[in-house]
Amino acid sequence: MAKKEKNKVWNLQEAKNLFQEYLDKGNEKKPVSLPPDTIQIDNLNTKKMLERLFTLTDSILEKIYNSGRPSVQLPSRANTNIIWDEENDLLLLGKQIQEKQFHSLSGVADITRLMSVLEKVYELLSKDLHATKREIFYSNVKLFKDQKNSDKSIEDVATMLYTTRNSTHIVASAKGSCIGRLRIRDRNDIIDLEGLGSGGWTISPMLDNVEIIESDAEFILVLEKDAAMIRLSEARFWQKYPCIILTAKGAADMATRMFLKRLSKDLNLPIFSLVDSDPYGHYIHSVYLRGSKRLSYESPFLATPNIKLLGVLTRDLDKYKIPNDCRLEMTNQDIKRVKEMLEEDFVKKNKAWETDLKLALKMKIKAEIQALSAHGFEFLTEQYLPEKLSTGDWI
Amino acid sequence: MRIFHKKDGGIIQLIDKDKMEEWSVELPLIFIEYIKDKQLAKYEDAKVKKEVSAYLDEILKDVAIPRLISVLEGEDEEETISALERIKEISKKNVEMARPIKPYLENLSKSKNKSVVNITKDISNSFTKADRRKELAKKRKIMQEKEKQFMAGKISGADYAKARKEYLTLKD
Repeated sequence: MAKKEKNKVWNLQEAKNLFQEYLDKGNEKKPVSLPPDTIQIDNLNTKKMLERLFTLTDSILEKIYNSGRPSVQLPSRANTNIIWDEENDLLLLGKQIQEKQFHSLSGVADITRLMSVLEKVYELLSKDLHATKREIFYSNVKLFKDQKNSDKSIEDVATMLYTTRNSTHIVASAKGSCIGRLRIRDRNDIIDLEGLGSGGWTISPMLDNVEIIESDAEFILVLEKDAAMIRLSEARFWQKYPCIILTAKGAADMATRMFLKRLSKDLNLPIFSLVDSDPYGHYIHSVYLRGSKRLSYESPFLATPNIKLLGVLTRDLDKYKIPNDCRLEMTNQDIKRVKEMLEEDFVKKNKAWETDLKLALKMKIKAEIQALSAHGFEFLTEQYLPEKLSTGDWI
Repeated sequence: MRIFHKKDGGIIQLIDKDKMEEWSVELPLIFIEYIKDKQLAKYEDAKVKKEVSAYLDEILKDVAIPRLISVLEGEDEEETISALERIKEISKKNVEMARPIKPYLENLSKSKNKSVVNITKDISNSFTKADRRKELAKKRKIMQEKEKQFMAGKISGADYAKARKEYLTLKD
């Protein structure tokens, strides 16, 4: 199985079948309807954001005039208010509401930070500018003290306005990159993602300026590691197999997830992830799949429920004869994480995934994507990926 | 997205023209030019190439031109100047892309705004030069044809000289 088959052109039959299935389904696409016990979050343009912000400010002023004791209400982001929507395979925010009082001694710092962030959001929207979370922190270091506090206030403001964080024009720093058969528009510039050298396009956190304008890709490949990106980029993988490749260079950041969601929604292509064969890799896949708990209120705009886990699966280690010296023993922390994942509803629902995690737990072994290069640097691009895409060997 | 199916099972997806309504006024033209110049040849499939070309013409007719005209006929001079600047850039790269706005140039050349008049003049010059190049190519072809006929003794020296004179006059 591990024997190299260089220069062979695989037909990617199973990936093509999935592609055809998506094309057929594309004609009968239905809008996602969220369960009644969850809150609705909207992705808003500047005009609508300002309207919502004014409505909120008016309600605070009204409370000041009427009672002299203003407060704001926002959905709770506590674990108890996070709901897994089985039908859409998404983590969502329930309808529990928390109230922040302006006249509470314990909460005065919190509410002041919240109002300060709200003021910054107004400034950004009015001037059509974007700022990073770090810039918001530095806008008033004395008040925020630690970036954790400003980050929390930013998320509070987004939920308070029932909108996504990107709609507030506060963005995370650019981290991910994308390459392959895709053309986009960034304001008035057309960018060809095949012609940007081996580094590809740095995924802009200002995605409200970005639009997909053309593509002849047939699938999307999400990589955990930048090292795998370099390998695929050097092999010009997308030229032989028409695809779009992206990576968040580790944990899935918001801009990368949002961009992937956009690709999925606009292009309706099959999506596969390639992560390390360890609990952290599986966790990264799960974040792309159904969202993270911390940002559960944004899941409908960030999660890609149709993403398939292509590899590296635990069963691949034997199937592709990964040498023992390229395998690593699981730490106690890894074992704990696998056990935790096995308790998750979305894993229990996916039998193949559950089986692979149980196998990992039994073997107590993990491996990085780079372990595949034990069979040569080109093994990943010439055999592993094409063979798995041709045979439908994914979860 | 507008989907075009290739014979080999692949697809080409292009943004739907409705989404271009929110674009800046010159961008649909830039998009058309980009797809024609950079992507069309890569599609390989003749049927798809034809369908995509037809779609680009549809965008030109339904979105790009009406939007440009609405700006050029509007009263916002700043917007008119900005649109004219982009049309000027486009006309330098591919004058044919900008041709649909030619009928509106005469009116714009009478504007009281100097910048509008100057840019309009530059665009008009691009059309004049392009038209002249076309005419010259036509005359060259006629002259070469006459030359062959003259060498074969089918026409007189005067006929050939007349065609050559017409060509050289235009060239000068």
